[in-house]
Amino acid sequence: MGSSEKRSKDIMSDIPTFSAENLQNNLKVIQNSRTFLSIIAGVLAGIIGFNGLTGFVFYFVVMLITSVGLMAKAGFSADLYFDSWNRVLFDGFLGGLMSFVLFWTFAYDLVHIF
Amino acid sequence: MNFGFLVGVFGVLILSHAAYSTIQYRGLLKIMEEEFSRPPINVILELIIGLALCMWAALTFPGKFLSIHPDSDENRAVSLPDNSDFMIFNHRGRLFPPEIDMKF
Repeated sequence: MGSSEKRSKDIMSDIPTFSAENLQNNLKVIQNSRTFLSIIAGVLAGIIGFNGLTGFVFYFVVMLITSVGLMAKAGFSADLYFDSWNRVLFDGFLGGLMSFVLFWTFAYDLVHIF
Repeated sequence: MNFGFLVGVFGVLILSHAAYSTIQYRGLLKIMEEEFSRPPINVILELIIGLALCMWAALTFPGKFLSIHPDSDENRAVSLPDNSDFMIFNHRGRLFPPEIDMKF
């Protein structure tokens, strides 16, 4: 029949669907990991006694290591868990920066000044 | 989940011990009137170990990644809808040939 020539398989593969609540769960996992590691990096920078730009370089190094760790956790195949690579690599970078600076100054005061 | 949490707590404990050691080292430097450039080697080693433990805990404790494909094996919708009593199947659609390959 002419009307049934467009098979339902074609309709199902045209729309890119994914389970949105699983995507949200994955994003929450990344956010939690990055926030926790920003805090740990801040405490570390305060203990070692970084001043100025060196501390921010240390933060970016820790965030890069975190990105590699998250990619390894996702098995290097982002298509299975996310809709784009950028989410895995760059989500939550700057939000963690503020936590990092907060705990950096806190630990620095605690160890070196107080 | 519990093991990751314990590893994280252990890492934080190691970091706080390293902080305490650095405070004591600074006290010692004040007595000897020297400048503080960097913590002693054993403190740096402790910090690296603490960082590795915390990083491992941060990657495993918050939870697993769930697959977002709708047709993967773990995402199957296996529950019946609530209005299944109102569904009838004895209509004209039963004359169409089945086109969808269904997974059971």
